[in-house]
Amino acid sequence: MPEFFHRKLERSAIGFVLAIIGVSAIGGMVEIAPLFTIDETVEEAPDMRVYTPLELAGRNIYTREGCYACHSQMIRTLRDEVERYGPYSLAVESQYDRPMLWGSKRTGPDLARLGGKYSDAWHVAHLVNPRDVVPESVMPRYGWLQRNTLRIDDLPRHLKAMQRLGVPYTDEMVESAAADAMGQAAPDSGFAAGVAGRYGEETNIRAFDGEPGRLTEMDALVAYLQILGRLTDAAHATDAVETGSTQDE
Amino acid sequence: MELDHNAFVAFAKSWGLFYLIAFSIAVLVYVFWPSNRKRFDRAKKSILDDDDRPGKGPGKGPGER
Amino acid sequence: MVAGLTLSERRLALVILTLLGLTGLAMAAGGRGDLMGVHGFIVLLFSLGVAWAVMAGFYAPEPGEERLSRYYDDPTRFGIVLTMAWAVFGMFFGVWVAALLAWPELTFVDQAWASFGRLRPVHTTGIIFGFGGNALIATSLHVLQRTTRARLPDQLSPWFVIIGYNLFCVLAVSGYFMGITQSKEYAEPEWYADIWLVVVWVVYFLIYIRTLQRRQEPHIYVANWYYMAFILVVAVLHIVNNLALPISFAAARSYPLYSGVQDAMVQWWYGHNAVAFFLTAGFLGMMYYYMPKRAERPIFSYRLSIISFWGITFFYMWAGSHHLHYTALPQWVQTLGMTFSIMLLVPSWSSAGNALATLNGAWHKVRDDATLRFMMVAAVFYGISTFEGSFMAIRAVNSLSHYTDWTVGHVHAGALGWVAMITFGSIYALVPWMWKQKTMYSPRLVEAHFWLALTGTVIYVFAMWNSGIIQGLMWRTYTDSGTLAYSFIDSLVAMHPYYIARTVGGLFFLAGAVVGAYNVAMTIRLSRQEGVRRDSAADVPVPHEPAVAAQPGE
Repeated sequence: MPEFFHRKLERSAIGFVLAIIGVSAIGGMVEIAPLFTIDETVEEAPDMRVYTPLELAGRNIYTREGCYACHSQMIRTLRDEVERYGPYSLAVESQYDRPMLWGSKRTGPDLARLGGKYSDAWHVAHLVNPRDVVPESVMPRYGWLQRNTLRIDDLPRHLKAMQRLGVPYTDEMVESAAADAMGQAAPDSGFAAGVAGRYGEETNIRAFDGEPGRLTEMDALVAYLQILGRLTDAAHATDAVETGSTQDE
Repeated sequence: MELDHNAFVAFAKSWGLFYLIAFSIAVLVYVFWPSNRKRFDRAKKSILDDDDRPGKGPGKGPGER
Repeated sequence: MVAGLTLSERRLALVILTLLGLTGLAMAAGGRGDLMGVHGFIVLLFSLGVAWAVMAGFYAPEPGEERLSRYYDDPTRFGIVLTMAWAVFGMFFGVWVAALLAWPELTFVDQAWASFGRLRPVHTTGIIFGFGGNALIATSLHVLQRTTRARLPDQLSPWFVIIGYNLFCVLAVSGYFMGITQSKEYAEPEWYADIWLVVVWVVYFLIYIRTLQRRQEPHIYVANWYYMAFILVVAVLHIVNNLALPISFAAARSYPLYSGVQDAMVQWWYGHNAVAFFLTAGFLGMMYYYMPKRAERPIFSYRLSIISFWGITFFYMWAGSHHLHYTALPQWVQTLGMTFSIMLLVPSWSSAGNALATLNGAWHKVRDDATLRFMMVAAVFYGISTFEGSFMAIRAVNSLSHYTDWTVGHVHAGALGWVAMITFGSIYALVPWMWKQKTMYSPRLVEAHFWLALTGTVIYVFAMWNSGIIQGLMWRTYTDSGTLAYSFIDSLVAMHPYYIARTVGGLFFLAGAVVGAYNVAMTIRLSRQEGVRRDSAADVPVPHEPAVAAQPGE
């Protein structure tokens, strides 16, 4: 019986095609299907906020320049990683990350808890020429970030797309995205107040690249780097309980 | 029926295994079914024929034109 | 090349190119002010270039009905040339990015396009899709016709596939230089390039299925199974992983449908299965045809090849989550991935063993023939890297190896040792058949290429094994007082000699590819000079001496 079946299957090439799809897809489906309901298992983080337009623009520069090829953003539940980088990463922390930037290689260190670790000036100097700050570094220079003006006219569309995909941006946030981007890097301008109002008082509002007059790609990238790991405190909450016993061998 | 995460996980873990076993048996039966031996042998050797024109039916032996 | 098309096919080609050109024009107009506009111009120029070639040959005499009694190999020949070109291109960028990790200033300072982060996907895409993909398409069209004893269903669609596929590669690579990327590893091209690839892939699939249905052999030879699995599963993977919402139809920017942990799982389900079905299944198809053909011995066990086929098709799908050990992914998914990765060793080693057992009794040929030796070494490296892969999927091992150069070494043991070696072996077997030559232009250069490639691979892989393990150990070493012994930068400094060694290894491999490209080019030139009728009836002008054909072991 199975032999007859397989012969028939093989005679018509279409049947063969279906067999390959069936066999391979089931593996993928069985493994992936539960992940479509995985939000049920993701931790709650009521304090979690979304990326501001400037941070999102910075994130897009991070992906554009391929930073993820050398820097991970995923601290594993291993003792040495927790001690080196900070509390291990939780699923909830990347719930608004499209795409996720967990990475697969650490040519440079993990960046999941980078936010607030160094000053803005350090980041700017480091990005302009990493070897000025860390002589042994092999990171490329990113001087053009300082020269390029940040493109903000399409930011409302970026937020709109994210909103459609389920990220909780309000319509007001979408509409004022361009102004908020300017305001976040120009604390003395009229746009700054709106940013804090919409994204919370703890939002970093500073001239990230040191020049309040111009909104550069450097502003955006540093704003993003400074928020890494700081959208929620959820990871620090579990930290107290689990540090020291996280090496699960 | 409520399909929650745990149901999916349970399904994946149990039926995935049954599916694997049934599938392996089916493949082994096919491979070792006695009457298949001939066609496998032919397939194995037929690629070595030097003839290089399309449209030679199964009946003719290798090397004929 | 246009001469092989019928008049109606030439017209249809022009219609398709007009549509494509108009699409390019629309992209250029709608996307002005956005990087998409640049891609619009690239599409437009590309279609104009191809259209010009079609026009130039438009009034050439049509091929007669007698063409149907021969196989159609023009697209395969074209694909071989492209394969060699992409090999040199992709490996050049590989050497460059490798050098950048040893000497970070070895670039055009502050030129965005020339920074590591943008060059690295140029290398990976150039190799995986440019070199690997073209090799797979070119050889699959050859193997398909020979094993089914049926001619391709028409002349136009294979050209559509091979030219359209290379348009995808051009869009991908030119996009990275400009900063267009989805930043999903090995799936970087943006949404419109992804859609275009789906169109190309559907036509590719239809060629395959139409030819299979017209086959003159009762049984579908196993090489085709692997090629089919490659086509089908890559389609599924590509579509599922690239589902994304563009911010506008006139912008080269989209956001994926998945986020966070879900995106991670989908991404590595894709990533791992791209290794399985792009870089393994397709190339196994190559091996199951060209190795027996070159060795002039049937495959050792046909049954074993079927068992390993279904094993690979089935097990690989589950293994992707081993890329996410100790992360925020649920534990049970990690365990499942690990278990199946270990089980994968069975079908993988059956394939490798089957290949080597095929050569058993023909070792003197392996000794004398560098082409066959390429294939033999490929099978050995396939065995090594699949063992290593299963090993690294074990959680405890992975805790050390993940994020380090060990992963890079593993990937390159597979990519250099297996994928590139089996491809070069197959190409050296195929080129004389396709261009009606007795041998390659210079068998000694094949020999030189073999040794360059092997030396390069060995240097590369050993350098990365060393650096990866040292790196992993340094990160987790504690002092007596219980603090971390090394800063991150200490581990980076320790990598420097290995990064230099890696660059040297890559340079050897690149030199081999250049030698190979030269050899292929000269073989083609020789064939042109002799004015050989490429479509003459016999495929192989009897390259083998009868004395060699009869083996004592047979």
